[in-house]
Amino acid sequence: MRSAWFFALILLAVIPGQTMSQMGAPAATPAELVATYENLADVILGAKASEKQLVLSILATTYGHAEAAYARTTAEMQAGMDVKPHIERLATFVSHLGNEGDASVAAVRKRLLEGGHHHNAEGERQGIYDPGFVVVTRSAKAVFLGAARNLGRLAGSPNAQQLREEWEKVKKEYQSLTQ
Amino acid sequence: MSIESATGKAVAALLGLLGAAWLAAAPPEQTFRFVDAAAESGLTGLTLAGRPEKDHLLDSAGTGAAWLDFDRDGLLDIYIVNGWKLSGNQIVEKGPNRLYRNRGDGTFQDVTKRAGVADTEHWGSGVAVADYDDDGWDDILVTNFGPNVLYRNRGDGTFENRAAAAGIEAPGWNTGASFFDADGDSDLDLYIASYIEATLQDVLDAKRSLDWKGLDKVAFGPFGLEGALDRFFLSDGRGHFQEATESAGLRDRVRGFGFAVRAADFDEDGDFDLYIANDSDANYFYRNQGDGKFEEIALWNGSAFDANGAAQAGMGVAVGDATGDGLIDLFVTNFSEDVSTFYRALGDGFFEDATTWAGLSKPTWPSLSWGTAFADLDKDGDLELVIANGHIYPQVDRHPEYSMTYPQLNQLFENDSEGRFQERTGEAGPGFQVRLSSRGLAVADYDNDGDLDLLFTNLDAPPTLLRNDSPGGNWLTVVCEVPPGQGGLTGTRVRVEAGGKVLLRDIASSDSFLSRHDPRPHFGLGSAGRAEKVEVTWPDGSRTAMLDVAANQFLTVRKASDGPRPD
Repeated sequence: MRSAWFFALILLAVIPGQTMSQMGAPAATPAELVATYENLADVILGAKASEKQLVLSILATTYGHAEAAYARTTAEMQAGMDVKPHIERLATFVSHLGNEGDASVAAVRKRLLEGGHHHNAEGERQGIYDPGFVVVTRSAKAVFLGAARNLGRLAGSPNAQQLREEWEKVKKEYQSLTQ
Repeated sequence: MSIESATGKAVAALLGLLGAAWLAAAPPEQTFRFVDAAAESGLTGLTLAGRPEKDHLLDSAGTGAAWLDFDRDGLLDIYIVNGWKLSGNQIVEKGPNRLYRNRGDGTFQDVTKRAGVADTEHWGSGVAVADYDDDGWDDILVTNFGPNVLYRNRGDGTFENRAAAAGIEAPGWNTGASFFDADGDSDLDLYIASYIEATLQDVLDAKRSLDWKGLDKVAFGPFGLEGALDRFFLSDGRGHFQEATESAGLRDRVRGFGFAVRAADFDEDGDFDLYIANDSDANYFYRNQGDGKFEEIALWNGSAFDANGAAQAGMGVAVGDATGDGLIDLFVTNFSEDVSTFYRALGDGFFEDATTWAGLSKPTWPSLSWGTAFADLDKDGDLELVIANGHIYPQVDRHPEYSMTYPQLNQLFENDSEGRFQERTGEAGPGFQVRLSSRGLAVADYDNDGDLDLLFTNLDAPPTLLRNDSPGGNWLTVVCEVPPGQGGLTGTRVRVEAGGKVLLRDIASSDSFLSRHDPRPHFGLGSAGRAEKVEVTWPDGSRTAMLDVAANQFLTVRKASDGPRPD
């Protein structure tokens, strides 16, 4: 509906131009239309860049939560406390890194796909990205999801060494993905 | 060496060669033999499925089937859900669902009309069976493209639709459903999956617009269509339900294209979890927190994606201990040119994709798969795997260069007892050599001869009933009974110890693809003539155990009455 309004405004803006072309102006696309298209191209390309920045922000926020969950887990483990909920929370955040966001983000991604938008269309064709993914590659996804499952399994029998090893995998993958 | 001895050795060698050749030529003992007995049994009704060219996904989604003993005569009856027939944008015929009563002589009587369960007003989808009102009689939930129908069993051979009164009509494209006790209050709650948002007009007006390999136009979707929301209904224990999707933590936030739903205690913590196979989306695993609240953990318990982290086109689900380690594994059927995925249980509700390890990658790649089941078809103490196959695009038949067909063989895989499978389709008798476009699969011992038979629904064709004529070992079937008012059978687990093995089964209201299996747990015992122990864990957690049970019988185990339930 919003896009319909947008194009209605564009049409209103270019009607005088059309009239001029009918009166014998050069056989070229009216400059107003080209200019509008230029502006639209800026918006489209800008939106794509913004999408990447937004997804990076989502990942940064998720990673921050994961980092905090890891810190809390290790601290409370040393204090001999029950850390199962914290480890599961950590596993959840790491899985969200792999999924490039939680279910709410996935819903937005699905909506974009339904509308035909593929941020990395060529990367998808090459098998580097899953449909709609912006930053997280398939290989990174596999690392995050594998680590998430391993972390989740540790919740039942916490082990500081294994926890650290899994977290280091996550840290390394995240840094390589976002640098 | 003398001439005689040389000749003698040559003759001996020749005889040896001939003997070896004879041995090699002798047919091996056939492990499996299945024969289609549908026509002779009276199962002749067509399952209607839209237009021949399958212009809309609804035309090709198919329907489910259920085994149930609606009249409590000890014989398993059949309920088959039906669709509609279209021609262009016109409705040509509204197919009746059918209830077939088992006569006990290998034949069935169509009692649909008398029972009042045809439901021709709706295009049917799936079926779940449970005693939702806890009166001792199995009721039938039919999920529809449109409002659902809940057939309450009156106990006199007739049914009444109580869906509106129960509050579960939930119009939409409803698919898989599962009754289970979500909150531990001994009544059955209900989860219903949905596929896509679509109206009947959308279906009637559909044009094939999806480009298939640059060669043909096929039905559009599900990508590009809006997923429909799954729903969860909490029972009040008096036959009414209240939608509680949000409060139970079961909000379908991704709007997954939902198909199969299976409830089970996957993490063995004493409550019922939920697994939902989504088409083209991550599958869901809802872990029950113990208080009827759920958390979706498939992303980190290993059951959302395949080993590469890719979402697949989940259709049907098989549940069972395929590896014999005492843990419940999952098998999810998927689209063609992709494997169907075997999720090996790791314990505590975690899984890993072990499809290649199980030998299932290559043989499941070409087929488009739907219904599926783990079942001990040769009674040797491990679970075979059966898959119902059939493409959704009839147009693939125009392009034989892709070695893909619209009608496909259903498949049978033999278990090596540790969860590695060998395909036996070609050696499984004439019933497995028929190509159709199958969808639902429901397993039951309909002739009460101690082995499990297979019922398939097929698009635009009558069902297939594969009678199991295979040789095999000893067996035990456990018939669980719960007095009315005690919460019913759904969710009951049975554990059998026999011949050094521990065998597990559970009773579910739905399984496979929109279907329901025999509610009487069946166990192959191999050469063991007795089971050392049979233990039944009832849905409320109480247990009944029996020791030293003879093989080759239907063993009835009754739950002790625990008095009336408090309000």
